[in-house]
Amino acid sequence: MAVKTLKRLAYGTLMLVGAVLWLSALLLLSKTAQSSAEFGRLHELILLINAAGVLILLVLIAINLLRLVTDYRRHVGGSRLKARMVTMFVILTVLPLLLVYWFSVQFLHRGIESWFNVEVEEGLGDALDLSRTALDILMGEYLQRTEAMAETLAAEDDVVGALSAFRTETGATEVTVFGRYGRIIATASGRTSGFLPTRPSSEALMQIRQNRPYVSPEPLADGGYLITAVAPIPSRSPADEQRILQSFYLVTGRLSSLADAVERAYTRYGELVFLREPLKNSFTLTLTVVLLLAMLSAVYGAFFAARRLVAPIQQLVAGTRAVAQGDFDTRLPVPARDEMGFLVNSFNDMTRRLAAAREQARQSQAQVESERANLEVILARLSTGVISLEPGLELRTANQAAGAILGLELEDRLGEPLGSAAGESSLFGQFVGVVERRLSTGEADWREQIVLRGEAGRRVLTCACTALPGEGGTPGGFVIVFDDITALLQAQRDAAWGEVARRLAHEIKNPLTPIQLSAERIRRRYLSSMSELDAQVLERATHTIVQQVEAMKEMVNAFSEYARVPDMEFSRFDLNQLIGEVIDLYRAHEHGIDIHLDLDRALPEVEADAGRVRQILHNLIRNAEEALEGAPDARIDILTRLHRQGDHHEFAEIVVEDNGPGFPADAIEQVFDPYVTSKPKGTGLGLAIVKKLVEEHAGRIEAANRRAGGARVSLLLPVNEAARSAMTPGTPRRHDVQRERA
Amino acid sequence: MERRGLSCRRARAGTPRLVGLIALAAVLWQPAAAQDEGRFDIRSAYTSLRDGVYFLDARVEYRLSDAALEALESGVALTLELQIEVTRRRRFLPDPEVAMLRQRNQLQFHALSQRYVVRNLNSGEQASYATLYAALNAAGRIAALPLIDASLLDDDDDYDVQLRALLDVREIPGPLRLLAFWLDDWRLASEWYTWPLRP
Repeated sequence: MAVKTLKRLAYGTLMLVGAVLWLSALLLLSKTAQSSAEFGRLHELILLINAAGVLILLVLIAINLLRLVTDYRRHVGGSRLKARMVTMFVILTVLPLLLVYWFSVQFLHRGIESWFNVEVEEGLGDALDLSRTALDILMGEYLQRTEAMAETLAAEDDVVGALSAFRTETGATEVTVFGRYGRIIATASGRTSGFLPTRPSSEALMQIRQNRPYVSPEPLADGGYLITAVAPIPSRSPADEQRILQSFYLVTGRLSSLADAVERAYTRYGELVFLREPLKNSFTLTLTVVLLLAMLSAVYGAFFAARRLVAPIQQLVAGTRAVAQGDFDTRLPVPARDEMGFLVNSFNDMTRRLAAAREQARQSQAQVESERANLEVILARLSTGVISLEPGLELRTANQAAGAILGLELEDRLGEPLGSAAGESSLFGQFVGVVERRLSTGEADWREQIVLRGEAGRRVLTCACTALPGEGGTPGGFVIVFDDITALLQAQRDAAWGEVARRLAHEIKNPLTPIQLSAERIRRRYLSSMSELDAQVLERATHTIVQQVEAMKEMVNAFSEYARVPDMEFSRFDLNQLIGEVIDLYRAHEHGIDIHLDLDRALPEVEADAGRVRQILHNLIRNAEEALEGAPDARIDILTRLHRQGDHHEFAEIVVEDNGPGFPADAIEQVFDPYVTSKPKGTGLGLAIVKKLVEEHAGRIEAANRRAGGARVSLLLPVNEAARSAMTPGTPRRHDVQRERA
Repeated sequence: MERRGLSCRRARAGTPRLVGLIALAAVLWQPAAAQDEGRFDIRSAYTSLRDGVYFLDARVEYRLSDAALEALESGVALTLELQIEVTRRRRFLPDPEVAMLRQRNQLQFHALSQRYVVRNLNSGEQASYATLYAALNAAGRIAALPLIDASLLDDDDDYDVQLRALLDVREIPGPLRLLAFWLDDWRLASEWYTWPLRP
């Protein structure tokens, strides 16, 4: 920053010095043109400074122009504005300059021309002629005197005396008689000190040789004229030496001063006339140099001003681009405390606020993302199914539980319309049917318990739908939350039956024994004392009471068995072996039922309560036997299979099938409920107890009809503790257990 | 006689002339005509030692250019300068100046008497001539001009005298001087005439 300031300072100083130098040079140039002698020596320097100024400005302008053209072609931001400004500035400055220049030259030329006047020139010429004529008259007079003296001297012997007299008489400054070769014969002079008389000039001698007298005015350095008159002295005889008389007359006084004045005026005027063109050219030249420098300075000034003006705009353009590209950290240097500075300040303020807003938005987004991730985790772990729909009923999101409940992989169907996403899953199809029915009525918020019927039986869902907030009052989508409460209902039912069983055991079993004892006592007491007929009646009646009480006791015992919750005694045993032992008991019966075993040898030892498993098998086989009563070719198939879930979770599957009449189709879901039986005899608690025992092992049981006819009950038992703990709702899938109807 | 300091140097033609000439050609351009460009020549020059003083005798032929002649006829006074330098001869180094004289004559046309006046600016003597030829002839005749005292010279050294005549444009009127700077018509100068200074 300091370097920049120094640079600017140096640049400014340089410009100032250059401007002062240039102005001085121009002033000196104008002085030179006005013939001031003292500037004569600076002439070259002045021109050099001006030429250097022109050259420097030309170079500067060329550099600026080149830069501008390059920027313009490259579409650099602000270059077009700069070009326009430069053009405008140049036009605005150069045109008036040219105009002023043209008019100045015109005025100058006319002004100089106006100095000169034909009449003045003629007048001066006439004055000069007049002066010359006056001088000529004077010269003629002096020559005449000299010639007369020469005539006199021709006959005079006392030349010296005659000369002195002549000089005194005529007022001549010096009178001399020369002989051959310039020999001085006699002289008379006003000067007192020793001197040599002035010899006749060669011009005079030449004229005398031609025998013509000579007269000439000699301008003196101090003003005035010295008139020289030379005349030959006639010879008295041809043999005499040729002599000449030269006399000088000083012209002083008014005539001399007037003549000098006229001569000076004439010369000065002549000089001015002669200098007219050079003067015009000199002034034009000076003006041209001034114009050139001023014009070039103006052009350079236009570049400079445009650059200074456009620089903040260019910075703003660059800053705006940076902001458009997302760089909100852009801060521009404030050029000055003017409107542009205010603009730049506003820009900086804007970017600062944008940066703050972006940071806030980023934080908000991060928070939202975090919450969304949390929500996703929660939704994924939730056993409740959650589905969100677009306003057009396209599937937006669905959690894992939703797919599990509806028996469909919903993650692959996101974005599809709900109707087509239903696909082949009948559960999902029924679900979609209910949802579409409710939403088609325009009802966005609703709650309903839905009963779905699948191959595996009845499924009860509690379903709640709510509309997501949207724009303009229309819903932005829907969220449907549903829970599979089948197991819950079942559990509630089981609990209710358990309670019933306990009460029955408690409330009914207790009075049965007194009833039975009372009946037997009546029989013993009164049978012997009664008539034969009455005895028979009593015998039948008491027998019936005792028998029915026994039956009721059995029933109550079965109930108490159902309600009994003894401690589990887990041990490891071979399931196949256990099945074999149980089957052996039934094979011994002569009931005409063919029992087939298909046992998986790969089945590992199962960690379970062996007594309970044994009871499960007894109940299932007995249930099948009862169902097969009277059926031709009665057959029971028992098979075991090993199922794996993941790497470590193993389940043992036991399937018991018969070829009897099968379960009633409409009551297949209730077969495990107490007192649900299609058989003519039985307590109706067999399968209910089985189910209870299986669930105590954290296993699963399902009942179905075989396609070929007959019933099929399959159950899954966890092989070990790990599998037992992993036996969460939905795993292993129900469809893993084959359901067929014989 | 005017004797200037030893440090005085003669002016030489400067380079800015060329630059300026190009820049101002448009203003100054005049069609070339068959004009007399004038010429200054040193016809003869020699020195003679009398009474321990070297005297210079020289004949310079001045022929004025038409432009200068026109100026003269119009009343402009022209200054004819005679530059005389005595230098000590050295083998490898530039010759140092021992003495430098400038003899200047002003030539002017006197309109009233129709005579050409030659005035020696050094001595102030003045003479007039009926013809330009006579005036220039008089101006170009240098007789017994005291040059340098022999006692100032070292007998062991060799000395040269060089002489040239030129028209001093610095003395002409300003407007003319500005233009004369660029025009050949006004750049009248003879070549340097050099001879050894010997008794």
